[in-house]
Amino acid sequence: MSCSFEQDLTASLDQELPALEAARLAAHLPTCPDCRATEALLRTGLQAVATLPAFEPSSALRRALLAQVDALPTSLGARLRALLRPWVLVPVGGGLAAGLVVTLLVLQRPHAPELSPPAQLELAMNFDVVDNYEVLGIDSPEDLDVVEHLQELEKTP
Amino acid sequence: METDDDAALMLRVGRGDKAAFAALFDRHQRSVARFAFRFVGEEARAEELTQDIFIKLYRSAPGYRPSAQFKTFLFRVASNHCLNEVRRGEYRVQRIQEGPDDEAVEVAGPDAHQPDRAVEGRELEACVRQALGELSDRERLAFTLCRFEGMAYRDIAQALCASEAAVKSLIHRATLSVARKIEALHPGITPERSRA
Repeated sequence: MSCSFEQDLTASLDQELPALEAARLAAHLPTCPDCRATEALLRTGLQAVATLPAFEPSSALRRALLAQVDALPTSLGARLRALLRPWVLVPVGGGLAAGLVVTLLVLQRPHAPELSPPAQLELAMNFDVVDNYEVLGIDSPEDLDVVEHLQELEKTP
Repeated sequence: METDDDAALMLRVGRGDKAAFAALFDRHQRSVARFAFRFVGEEARAEELTQDIFIKLYRSAPGYRPSAQFKTFLFRVASNHCLNEVRRGEYRVQRIQEGPDDEAVEVAGPDAHQPDRAVEGRELEACVRQALGELSDRERLAFTLCRFEGMAYRDIAQALCASEAAVKSLIHRATLSVARKIEALHPGITPERSRA
């Protein structure tokens, strides 16, 4: 670094220097051989760089990239947005509505009494008899025997 | 190419439009690949980086807000990715002068049919590549965005999250360094020898 104007030289060649600073540099250059030499060096370097050929990516890059994008997992937001399409919403909504109607109909149907099998009915009647015996205070085997044959005894003259 | 068009495409990409993404890629793939090539100095690595940068762009699309020029946003993504990859050691920037048979400098130019000029072109390519390899990462980024993408200092400052004054300094140092290398390749081509 030999001169405080040096950094302005590149910006000047790039036309990035504000007008006031460009004017100051223009006034300085004829008085400074170092800056003139540096400006010539920069100008030649930039001209050479401008002749470099541009790098061209291969056509395989596009195929590889788009295949990679297709393979990416879909985000949650995109999945939700996909569900909001009419061709998804209409059948799904219709199905849900139909299911709701069926559920309501089933819930509103009156309950029919459940029919018990014969063995359960007999058992229940026996429990009733036992309850009655307890209420009457009948618990000895002789008393039970009398009760069991009570109808026969009533028919006896 | 309209910047607004790019922003509109990017917003569509954010809504999952893959055709819009393909259109954005077609518009900008050459710029990004050229940038990556100048940054790492190798074609195959440049293509890998380009692919990674566009995947990153695709993933960032849902949160994209068009607050800056799309190209500035794109090269901010690209610069950050290149810096991160180099810092992680995924890529090493070419710093060694290879011979004329090195495949990394086989970039076909307009003088390919003229042997002498083609050799000169390859020498210049190798010289610039070596010069870029000797720059700091940020100098190389700023130089590449300025010289090969033609971006303004202000836009480069946005892409690199730096001040314009810092970018001016980065570009000057990088340009001077590259110019000295080129001068050393062909001594005497400048009117006066620089003492800068």
